[in-house]
Amino acid sequence: MSAPNAKTLMQRLFEPKSVEAQALVPKIATYAVLLFWTLVVLFPLYWVLVTSFKSESDVFSGPFYLPFVDFQPNLDAWRFMLLENNTLWPYFNSVIVAACSTVLSVLIGSLAAYALVRIQFHVKLAAIGCFLLLLAAVVVAVAAGGIPWPIASIVAIVLFVIFLGTLGRRFRLAVGNNDIEFWMISNRIMPPIVAVLPIYVMFQHLRLLDTQVALIATYTAVNLPIVVWLTRDFFAGIPLDLEESAEIDGASKFRVFFTIALPLVRSGLVATLLLVLILAWNEYLLALFLSNANAQTMPVLVSAQNTTRGPQWWYMSVLIVIMIAPVIVIATFLQKHIARGLLIGAVKG
Amino acid sequence: MQVTLRDIYKSFGEVEVVKGLNLEVADGEFVVLLGPSGCGKTTALRMVAGLESVTAGRISIGERDVTNVLPKYRDVAMVFQSYALYPHMTVAENIGYPLKLRDVPKMERDGRIREAAGKVHLEDYLDRYPRQLSGGQRQRVALARAIVRRPSLFLMDEPLSNLDAKLRGYMRSELKRLQADLGVTTIYVTHDQIEAMTLAHRVAVMNKGVVQQIAPPREIYDNPANLFVAGFIGSPPMNTVPGAIADGQFRVPQGGLALPGHAPRSEAILGFRPEDATIVDPGQADLRATVFSCELTGNETIVTCSLGETQAIVQMDKDFDVAADAQVGIRINARKACLFDPASGNRIRPDA
Repeated sequence: MSAPNAKTLMQRLFEPKSVEAQALVPKIATYAVLLFWTLVVLFPLYWVLVTSFKSESDVFSGPFYLPFVDFQPNLDAWRFMLLENNTLWPYFNSVIVAACSTVLSVLIGSLAAYALVRIQFHVKLAAIGCFLLLLAAVVVAVAAGGIPWPIASIVAIVLFVIFLGTLGRRFRLAVGNNDIEFWMISNRIMPPIVAVLPIYVMFQHLRLLDTQVALIATYTAVNLPIVVWLTRDFFAGIPLDLEESAEIDGASKFRVFFTIALPLVRSGLVATLLLVLILAWNEYLLALFLSNANAQTMPVLVSAQNTTRGPQWWYMSVLIVIMIAPVIVIATFLQKHIARGLLIGAVKG
Repeated sequence: MQVTLRDIYKSFGEVEVVKGLNLEVADGEFVVLLGPSGCGKTTALRMVAGLESVTAGRISIGERDVTNVLPKYRDVAMVFQSYALYPHMTVAENIGYPLKLRDVPKMERDGRIREAAGKVHLEDYLDRYPRQLSGGQRQRVALARAIVRRPSLFLMDEPLSNLDAKLRGYMRSELKRLQADLGVTTIYVTHDQIEAMTLAHRVAVMNKGVVQQIAPPREIYDNPANLFVAGFIGSPPMNTVPGAIADGQFRVPQGGLALPGHAPRSEAILGFRPEDATIVDPGQADLRATVFSCELTGNETIVTCSLGETQAIVQMDKDFDVAADAQVGIRINARKACLFDPASGNRIRPDA
């Protein structure tokens, strides 16, 4: 380093000056690049919005960009979609399914992440193996042997307890927190579609196909690993002293979680919540399998506009606009939390 | 409330950090656990709080055996080194948190928060957040949170060590006053001997998981039970000179000191405090020595002398001066001197 202010090439590339500190020409260049990228991001949104006010002929007779100049906007598509077509019910389904599954997965997932950070688990591998074997045995006995399921499961539970108390003590190999975490995340490595057939059959047997409950349960399960994975590090960042102090002050473990740990990771939790909410809101594949009429959600309805007459772009655009709107509103309100939550960790100051 | 620890052992895996701790704290007493880092003092405190399980032994608070009781049911309050203030709560909410957990009604809670804040001079800061306070103020919030509930036992884990020197001295006297006013039994952990000497009714000096001596500060200072305590307490610590005992006299090649009543021994260590010795003319001295260095600290002069292989420090008044390498004599106050067994490190008492 020759001069104290000299920067290496890497620093010049990756630690640029703030825009205010730049000279005029670089400043203009910076704003030009930013403007270009803004257009790239905003144009599709504009296009969808404009298309929703077009009629069929406007769409097919050429790309028209400017309302009142290129074409005369009308509310036909909006009128049809909101009044004549059954749009509000799938919309309501989407709201219920996304909200419920998000709240459930964030609640359960953050509890699980907290437990993984604060409790050392030590589960014997042999116990897990025995449990799986007995489970298989119960299934076989009930399905093939015709034994009533309450009896089979009680016998299995008794056998399991006996095994834990006797032979189970001899085995050394155990599963720790890291293994549990990896197992959870590995559930997400596998694409959910792989499991969609068993899930379909399961809900069919439970007579829950095409219900909100089925979708809520599935989305919650699919999003849980993401919540655990993201919130784990937030909880790990809380100084242990705080929680120990709260325990001595007289709080139970749950009280510590809800009054100390959760408020401290609020920012990170909000960011996680938003991410999961968007994933659930936009989910298409599982909804396609698990719902048809009653529990249909918006993404399925949007794709249904691709009819035998070809894609009905103007109807689709209306649906997309009303789907995007709430996400934009929520993201605007929570923006402050998102930036802080994911970039700086959860506990500062 | 009195606290009893009986034969407490604690192991983390293979490592035994507390080995057979016995401690009885009387009602209203201020006991300090003092020792170097890693001596098991904090672990001992955490076991009393219930944050750490006990490998073997029994802990009781009052008449109640709390060995396997959860922290929340022990009725203790703890002040952490990091203060452990809840960052998302105001000062008032921090102080009131223990009361809120006990469902104390809002009106009574506010009164008690005010009262506790008043005791530590924080009335004007109740609406602030911890991050808006200075170190000393945060420390006082932690104290207020501990006293607001009127627990049966205070536990303090190096509460002053994150403060700067001046503030530490001030908070020390505040803490002593507060404990005396409230009369709550207190166990206090520190590695700072000044804190231990000034605050404690009794000090328990610990090393390597074992209590070396439990006694009032003056007793610890004047009559250390073994070489560890002698070397740990005092700044500069007690001088230790190896030699032998014969004819009622401690002997080294450089001279001797009459210590009547001691049986002859081929090996013994003489211990004396720097302030219990004076530099005199070699002719009238107990021990002859060479001056290694002479340092004026301001209110006193520290003279380091060489006695063969060993060194001894003598504390003289601030007007004293002597050249390096001068031949001098050391006269020792025999009534204040102690003898130790080099093999076990334990104190040798006179036979008579």
